[in-house]
Amino acid sequence: MTMLPPLGRRAALAGAAGLGFASFAQAQQAETPRRGGTLRIATLGLDTADPHRHTGSIAVQQAYVEALTSIAANGTVEPFLAEAFEVSADGRVHSFRLREGVRFHDGSALTSAEVIANLERVKNRVRGGWLVSAMRLAESFEAPDARTVVIRMREPYAPLLNLLSELWILSPNSPGWDDTITRPIGTGPFTFGDWRPKARFVAPAFSGYWQPGRPYLAAVEFDLRDDADFSLALRAGDLHVASVGRDKLAALSRDPAIRLGKLKDTNWFFVSFNNRSPRAPFDDLRVRQAIAYSLDKRAFMNFTAGQDGIVTNQMVIPGNVHFDRAMHDADAHVRPDPDRARALLREAGVTPAQRRIELVSWQESYAQVAAQMVTRLGFPVNHVALDDLGAQRRLGQYDWDLAVFSSGPRADLFLRYVRMMSDGPNPVLWGGVQDPEFDALVNAAVREPDQARRAVAYNRAWQRVLDRYYTVVLGHSQNVIANRSEVQGWDPGFTWACHWASGGVAQAWLAPRNPAPRG
Amino acid sequence: MTRAIGWAAPPLRALALILAISMIAFFCIRAVPGDVVDVLAAQGDLTAAQQAEMRQAMGLNASPIVQFLTWGGRALHGEFGNSLRFGKPVGELFLNALPATLHLGLLAFAIGLGLALTLALGALAAPRSPLPLLVQAVNIWSIAVPTFCIGIAGILIFSIWLGWLPAIGHLGLPAAILGIDIAGQLVKPLHDELRQAQAAPHVRTARAKGLHPLRIGLFHLLPTAMPVLLALSSVVLAGVLGGTLTLEVLFGLPGVGSLALNAMHGRDWPLLQATIVFLAAGVVLINAAAELLHRLLDPRPRR
Repeated sequence: MTMLPPLGRRAALAGAAGLGFASFAQAQQAETPRRGGTLRIATLGLDTADPHRHTGSIAVQQAYVEALTSIAANGTVEPFLAEAFEVSADGRVHSFRLREGVRFHDGSALTSAEVIANLERVKNRVRGGWLVSAMRLAESFEAPDARTVVIRMREPYAPLLNLLSELWILSPNSPGWDDTITRPIGTGPFTFGDWRPKARFVAPAFSGYWQPGRPYLAAVEFDLRDDADFSLALRAGDLHVASVGRDKLAALSRDPAIRLGKLKDTNWFFVSFNNRSPRAPFDDLRVRQAIAYSLDKRAFMNFTAGQDGIVTNQMVIPGNVHFDRAMHDADAHVRPDPDRARALLREAGVTPAQRRIELVSWQESYAQVAAQMVTRLGFPVNHVALDDLGAQRRLGQYDWDLAVFSSGPRADLFLRYVRMMSDGPNPVLWGGVQDPEFDALVNAAVREPDQARRAVAYNRAWQRVLDRYYTVVLGHSQNVIANRSEVQGWDPGFTWACHWASGGVAQAWLAPRNPAPRG
Repeated sequence: MTRAIGWAAPPLRALALILAISMIAFFCIRAVPGDVVDVLAAQGDLTAAQQAEMRQAMGLNASPIVQFLTWGGRALHGEFGNSLRFGKPVGELFLNALPATLHLGLLAFAIGLGLALTLALGALAAPRSPLPLLVQAVNIWSIAVPTFCIGIAGILIFSIWLGWLPAIGHLGLPAAILGIDIAGQLVKPLHDELRQAQAAPHVRTARAKGLHPLRIGLFHLLPTAMPVLLALSSVVLAGVLGGTLTLEVLFGLPGVGSLALNAMHGRDWPLLQATIVFLAAGVVLINAAAELLHRLLDPRPRR
């Protein structure tokens, strides 16, 4: 079998440069990497020792477990534990050629048998998560030889290569394999060390790592505290890399020992209507349009992300292969038009003062900005700002009208579309869309093996979202990652992953600390 | 017989209190909307069917009574179960968090007690010095100045500008801040008690004998004020066990307070329940020990 090099799935994202953020790679010194030291990182947490059971955003476990594929910093899928992969012309058969010489942390070798054991485990023993849904679409897992794995799907399934970037391959010798893994044995550059949930996780280096000479660091220590302000610890030198809020950027940018960069994928912000059981008059398209005309996207994004905010009507930003320029340029709501909004309301026979809008959001200040914009039409707004769980439950009751939310980076665009599908996971942020025609359009895109044709198919589905006003995209922003100047060889990736095939902690090293005066 | 009942009553009362707290906490926790599956679903990718399956597997569908009986039966055997969110034994998570809280709490309490005693006795021995004013100032400080404000200022000054201390994981600064706060709570009532005790006949006699004011303070006044100090200290120390949360978060010392808060946010009922029970046991034990000490030091309750 001839394995083809992986196709580029997404073009490099434009826009990161020129937004006032230095590229880490440019700022780093061209020196021989130094060995030793502990890199201290604070981005997201670690909720489970069983990598197959994660349900949310992940940034830690990549340090000790790896997958067949990986998402590169530009969003393309690249080989990882599989050195090459091939998809059949009909999009149903995915073949992977495993890398030679890869060993688990217990010294055992990685072969196709271990990979298939992992696929089977996710398919049959794990209860939740989109990986389970994807694996249940598999007809068979085959191992023609010790280095080849074939996944045969029941139907063409284009997201698979990207989704496999988060199906981590573990040794079946990992304690708890038959139930919940308590001590994962992976192939990553670091091993599973001391984990104290919501406190810290220490991962010592793996001396038998398959990438020659790597990792350079002796260990990585993750700060797992929720909602902590990491900016002071960064400035004090107690952390090397951390995600920071935009309110801390002014102080951090004045510190010569700190560099600022961005995650390559975005958070997208949107106002969703209640699509599962819309209440009058928000079941009227004209009223939805009026609400959209009341929103000042630029002002909203200025508030949320300052000058780095990206205004568009799509779920990706310019530069992404799925971005549709014509659709973007045709955005009727790129600027607010309150007069048009009022005219639409009159046409629909709606007197705003007589209808109170129930608006649900998290306890985030940006939601209040959107609420104020809607209020200008004359609607009284009952803004219910809740914590994660409260919002989840309230949204699930579908007794509201508008929802202002955001959603973060994903390994594949499909993971954004699937949330709007009739049987999609956790659909509440997008108002629980129930639209068989939209489902069919997304499924058509999923079944399309050709990249260019798939982009067109996805955009057909997105056009339906725009036409039906299921949700109104306000814009995008990128999470800010700060690192100290002594960190070399590391740059924020496309997703939150701390380690991927062409970047991350395996390649990072620590230069001597610069004794520059502190700001 | 009566004396035996007198000595046995406090531990029995403590045990009954812990049981009552366990039961009340269990049902209060279950009254909070949402469960751990909701938390996992809110993170991203669970379908409704997957959520139902997980609830069934975790036993979250059983009635609260059944859940309490199951939990109680296991707890009596010392099994507090696993964290629903992290899959780790709750005892292990608690023991991981306890040292940070104990170190911070005890160090802060020692600083606070030492400072309060020094200031109160000093102010008594030198009433015309600035010390009585300092007693008032420390007391007002503890009431008016939030510890997290001083914590942030402390990090800016000592960790960032001067670079003397690490910003996270260091005990000295948070213990000092919390210690001053504790001193403020203790020093005023202690000073007032000592001043009242000055009018006692045995103190007047000591003064007439020409004893040094410090000696009078230490050996004649302080024993008189000891019951008040003991009672106050037990309340403060019990508060410190669960009350170090803001400083734990600020200084990266994840202790029992952070553990309980995270368990609450994550609807991790076994972890939260065990943390409450352990904390309640700690508080009850401290109070029981204080009561026993009181009985040892002061013969009046024994009569």
